[in-house]
Amino acid sequence: MRNLSIKGIQKQFFTPPDRQIIALDQIDLDVRGGEFISLIGPTGCGKTTLLRIIAGLEIPNSGEILLDGMPVDDLHRISTLVFQQYSLFPWCSVIENVMFPMEMKGIPKDERQNRAEEYIALVGLSGAEKAQPYELSGGMQQRVAIARALAHDPEVLLMDEPFGALDERTRHRLQNALLDIWKKKRKTIIFVTHNIDEAIYLADRIIVMTTEPGRIQEDVLVDLKRPRNRLDASFTELHLKVRNSLERTV
Amino acid sequence: MSLNGRDSSYQSKSENGIPLHRIQGLILPLIFIVLWEILAIWVDNPALIPRLTAVLSVILHPFTELVGTGSLIWNTAVSLFRVMLGFAVAVVVCVPLGIFMGTSKFIHRLVNPLVELFRPLCPIAWIPFAMAVFKTTTVPQLFGIRYTDTILDSVQIGMVFIIFWGGLFPILLNTIHGVSGVRGLWIETAKVLGASKARMFWKVIIPAALPDIMTGLRVGLGISWMVIIAAEMLPGSDSGIGYLIMYSYELAEMQILVACMIVIGLMGFALNRGLQTVSNRVSSWKALER
Repeated sequence: MRNLSIKGIQKQFFTPPDRQIIALDQIDLDVRGGEFISLIGPTGCGKTTLLRIIAGLEIPNSGEILLDGMPVDDLHRISTLVFQQYSLFPWCSVIENVMFPMEMKGIPKDERQNRAEEYIALVGLSGAEKAQPYELSGGMQQRVAIARALAHDPEVLLMDEPFGALDERTRHRLQNALLDIWKKKRKTIIFVTHNIDEAIYLADRIIVMTTEPGRIQEDVLVDLKRPRNRLDASFTELHLKVRNSLERTV
Repeated sequence: MSLNGRDSSYQSKSENGIPLHRIQGLILPLIFIVLWEILAIWVDNPALIPRLTAVLSVILHPFTELVGTGSLIWNTAVSLFRVMLGFAVAVVVCVPLGIFMGTSKFIHRLVNPLVELFRPLCPIAWIPFAMAVFKTTTVPQLFGIRYTDTILDSVQIGMVFIIFWGGLFPILLNTIHGVSGVRGLWIETAKVLGASKARMFWKVIIPAALPDIMTGLRVGLGISWMVIIAAEMLPGSDSGIGYLIMYSYELAEMQILVACMIVIGLMGFALNRGLQTVSNRVSSWKALER
């Protein structure tokens, strides 16, 4: 599994009249292959922009994305993004959604079907293959979105507050499901959240970002054994540490 | 429990007799028919208001030769064939053009002024122009064939042209609306899942825009059907249901005239229903989406 390096990423936006916002200022970040990283920070700190750059949806003004030191020419091939908004194609059934990225790669239909069924089972939705997106709850839709992202078989899985719109119970259940999948599939995951608890529960490392200009403020190692207990003293201690770091960003 | 009880009592009622809501839509048409018949008897002039029995006998004998123009079926078929041809041309031209205009700002800026200029022009306004330019040239004659002894001999280019104008704007504008309204989120999702431009087009833009395109086709076909009747009423035509209306008026054969009007209404209804069924199948997600 290749290591991901983000080198000197700079991104400016221009807003009329002639105001220039530095969304990201010289971001350097090294992510080990198979590592689970959480990006956390106040609104406007550029965490989503950074994710979109790694996903190939935005082009940085300078800087580059490297895999094991080599520049990547097609980011869509090595990474994919799970959005916060429900992004399933409503005209496709669950299994058609999951088959979509494999269809884009030209994988034959039988194989697509079999592999899609596996991914659907992996997110715990076996039996819902024929369902239409609008028949599913928000949590189920995000499970399908994760299955679809996995079906793209990316090296780097990018997630932009994917559980942000869900209630707490569903959110916890999906966090556990995601950790389970991560253990089985060993993907590099970069997970954007504004929820400290979620970041600590999931990640190996938490990157705290500041706003205007968007910079990395602190790199917090989460040295806790999994499964993690939210009521543990070490968990709450870390919570305070991240909170403190976040307070200083504002 | 109480809901179940109410449900079952409602069920038993409907078993005894036909529930009101089932026949509700038939009440006014029935009253209309009765009033018509009373009026026809009172006026007592079949050259003004024909008795329904006379009208019905025209409709119930659709293969009978009528006033030397062929049967009711034949005239309906001729009109339908003309509409289908003109409508097909409109679809083939307007759907791709609408897709280009909906996806490319450049093409939209290039073509839109012309579209806006022609849009307020009713298709019927083109009839005299079409008659003058195309005269009575038929589609086979366009290809250098004088007679084919088929229904094609009754399909004049001018009429196809008029029908084309009838279908043009609803199809074009709805296609543009559908294509430009495809959500950015779906396009970005397809991108991060590795979709190429071509695949993005066929697998995301087209299915997402299809409900609007289908609405355009439905409205366009409706207008095409209305317009053909007007086009056939003009001098130079020799068949079709619109022509038959005009001709039976001249001969004071009011029962044929009214029968034609009923056929036009029923055909328009059937065409709309047919496309509606197809449309419902491809658009169900749009109606149910939250």
